Formats: sequence, C-alpha cells, structure tokens
Amino acid sequence: MKSAIFSDWAEWLPRLLDGLWVSVQVTGLSLIIGLAAGLLLALAAFARTRLLTWPAILLVEIGRGMPALVMLQLVYFGLPSVGLTLETYAAVVLALSLTTAAYTSEIIRAGLRAVPDGELEAADALGMSRGDVMRFVVIPQGLRIALPTLLGFAILIFQISSLAFSLGLPELLSQAYSIGAATFRYLDVLTLAGLLYLAVTIPAGWLVARFERRLSRHLTT
Amino acid sequence: MNQAESILSLRDVEKTFAGHCAVDGVSLDVARGEVVAVIGPSGSGKSTMLRCINLLEVPDRGTITVDGTDLDTSGTVSARDLTQLRRRVGMVFQSFNLFPHMTVLRNISLPQERVLGRSRDEADRRSMELLERVGLQQKADAYPAKCSGGQQQRVAIARALALDPEIMLFDEPTSALDPELGLEVLAVMRQLADTGMTMIVVTHEIHFAATVADRLIVMADGRILEQGPPQQVLDDPQHARTRTFLSAIKDR
Repeated sequence: MKSAIFSDWAEWLPRLLDGLWVSVQVTGLSLIIGLAAGLLLALAAFARTRLLTWPAILLVEIGRGMPALVMLQLVYFGLPSVGLTLETYAAVVLALSLTTAAYTSEIIRAGLRAVPDGELEAADALGMSRGDVMRFVVIPQGLRIALPTLLGFAILIFQISSLAFSLGLPELLSQAYSIGAATFRYLDVLTLAGLLYLAVTIPAGWLVARFERRLSRHLTT
Repeated sequence: MNQAESILSLRDVEKTFAGHCAVDGVSLDVARGEVVAVIGPSGSGKSTMLRCINLLEVPDRGTITVDGTDLDTSGTVSARDLTQLRRRVGMVFQSFNLFPHMTVLRNISLPQERVLGRSRDEADRRSMELLERVGLQQKADAYPAKCSGGQQQRVAIARALALDPEIMLFDEPTSALDPELGLEVLAVMRQLADTGMTMIVVTHEIHFAATVADRLIVMADGRILEQGPPQQVLDDPQHARTRTFLSAIKDR
C-alpha cells in the first residue's frame, strides 16, 4: 500500500509541478504589477494634497476589505458585463495584482511614515524639493523598513493564488483536484499538493526571517 | 541698530498653535556678522521663533526680511521664495537629523548637488574642505551611526555650511549631547563665529552665550523680555523673570 502511494505520487508529480509553475508565475507577475501599483498608491496617500490622498485611501480600503476570492470572481465573471472579457490567466493576474496593490500600499505607507520627521525637516531646511526629499530620503529608507513585511506578504499571496482554482486556472490546486476527481484519491493527491506548497513557503519563510535579522543587525550598530 | 546693515529682520511675527500663542509679535534685527544667543525657559517660544525664520513653521502674521528680500507670511509663500530663503539660511537641529542611510560625505554632498546644482566632484571637494574644518575628514566614508553625537552634530554643521548660507540658525545644538561632546560642537561654532558668520543660537550654554555672542536675548511667553550685550544682561538683568531664570541656570 505504502509503495503504491509513492509510485502514484511519482506519476502525479509532473502534472503537479506544471501546476506549481503556473502558481509561481501568476504570483510573480501579480507581485511585480501589484508592488509597482502599491508604491504609487502609497505615495499618493502620503502626498500633501487631499485630491490625491482621498482616492488612494478609498481604493486601498476597498481592495483590502474585499476578500481575494471575491476579487477573482468579480474580475473574471463581473468585468465581461462592462465589456472587458479577460482570459483566465489574465483575470487571475489582474485580481491578485489589485489585492497585492491594496495590501502592499499600506505596508509601504507604514514604512514611509516610519522615517523620522526630523530628517524630513532637515531636508526641508536644506532647501531640497519635495520630490527630492521623497526620492533620496523617504523612499529608500521607507522601502528598507517595509521590506521584511513585503516579503512576508509575497509568501501569503503565493498561498492565496490557490484561489485561482475557482476560475479553472491550471495551477497547483486545480491540477491536484482534477487528479483527485479522476482517481478518487483526494487525500493522497491533496497531501502531495500541500507538501509542494510547503516546499516553497517554509524555505521562503526562513529566508525572510534570516533577512530580517540581518537588517536589524545593521540598524542597531 | 542701523536698518541698512541688518541682514535679517523679523517684524511682528506671530505664531499660534491650537490657541496657544507660541510667538507673540516678535520683532528683531540682526546685523551681518552678528552672533545672537537666545535663552529662556522651555515653552518661551525661542525654538518656534527660530523655526519661523526659515519657515519650518509658517508664522500666522508678520514679515521676514533676509538681506533685503521681504516675505509677507500672512499670505501663501511661493515655492520659489521658500527655496530662495532656505538657500540663504542654514539650520542645525538639536537631534542632528543626518540621513542615516548615507555616508557622512553623501550627507554633505547630496544637498549641494540637488539644491545648488554642483557636480558630484565639485560637491565632494567642498564637503571634504568642510569636514577638514570641523576635524572629521577621516569620517567621510562612515555612516552616521558610526559617529558619536558630537561628530554627527559637526557633520550636520558642515552639511548646512556646504550650501554657503548667509545666516546660520542653531536650535539647541548641544542639548542632546554629553557635556564633553558638546564642547567639540561649541568649539566649531566659536570658530564659525570668528569667520564672521551671522548666527542665531538658541541655547542653554550660558558660558558660550557670554563669551561668543554679541547680543543676548531673553525670551519668555513668546516675547523678547530683554536683550543687550551678554555681560550686561547676565550681570544686571532688568526683569524679575530674567533674574529667576538666570539664577536657575547659573546656580546648578
């Protein structure tokens, strides 16, 4: 029995690895697009003009308040009725990017706010422009402060990508599910899929923790 | 004082925070090359007055004139006027406020490049010159966290001087320092005063005020209580309030 499980696992593994690759891809793309948008939203929310601040905060609150599953369904099933039909892959990337943008903009904003006011005052007193203060003083330090939390979120969005199963994207969970449907060996195949998720998230978590320790060592000199 | 030779004038400057009047109609003329020390109990408005000069706090009312250029602060101050003003007025803070993610050299060179448009080479050359002047050329490549408080404050002074200001403002520059480290900062300031820099120094260092300043101003409740040559104010204060304050700092 035991050897049967392992021979089946070996048979399923290539399909599951294909699925894992899709999961990693949509996670990576969503992070690239979402982080860029998150930084822009954070800067808008950080701005001094309410014209920028309020829309940014509103978008972020909606994005964070809405469950990722609802965001996926809304983009895939909802947008066609306003004339925007996306393929599954694109819809998943868009929805996860929106969720990523909303969450990471809050993380980045907290990082930007953690830069001491005194430094901003000193930069002001030196006559540096608002743009220069952001570019040279606030953003480099704020992103450094936000980095560990952002990496933690990256692991989370990788897990969240399994929700794309609900749209039929052939990512890891979908592959496992369809093998299960064909063999009725749900427990075995889902266990293997779970182990594959863990094979990514646990080492990634270690790396983040190590990175975080290194970063704080520099701060305490 | 002769109006024509004054490099800085404040006229009826007023600043209120949430109903509390921090600076209550202060007028002040500072001559080119003059060193003015400002003392007074905490909450007397001396730091706020200083911060009004380079508009870190925008006064509610009043006029600020730097070297003949008037700024009426009751309207909105344009970004151009603000930059013009801040290029001419340097400031040193109690908490140094260096940029911790940049080396000492970058701290001093970056503002020169961004504000004055100097090339990197030009800025670095000027920075090294100033670091030598404050005795820290060996710290050029160190990060601020690797410098003592006194060293950080000297770097902050060099950073402000690098923009060739006409007036330097010091907001309790030694208050965050051990007495020993404070001395090295005061030595740099003394040297700066000797070069003829116009300086306004908010401080509790009564000895520095007595020996370096040309004029001592005592503030209380947002107003200038009295002012004059330091020895005169210290030896023969006119107001009871000044006497109480002076005995509090002299008798410690």
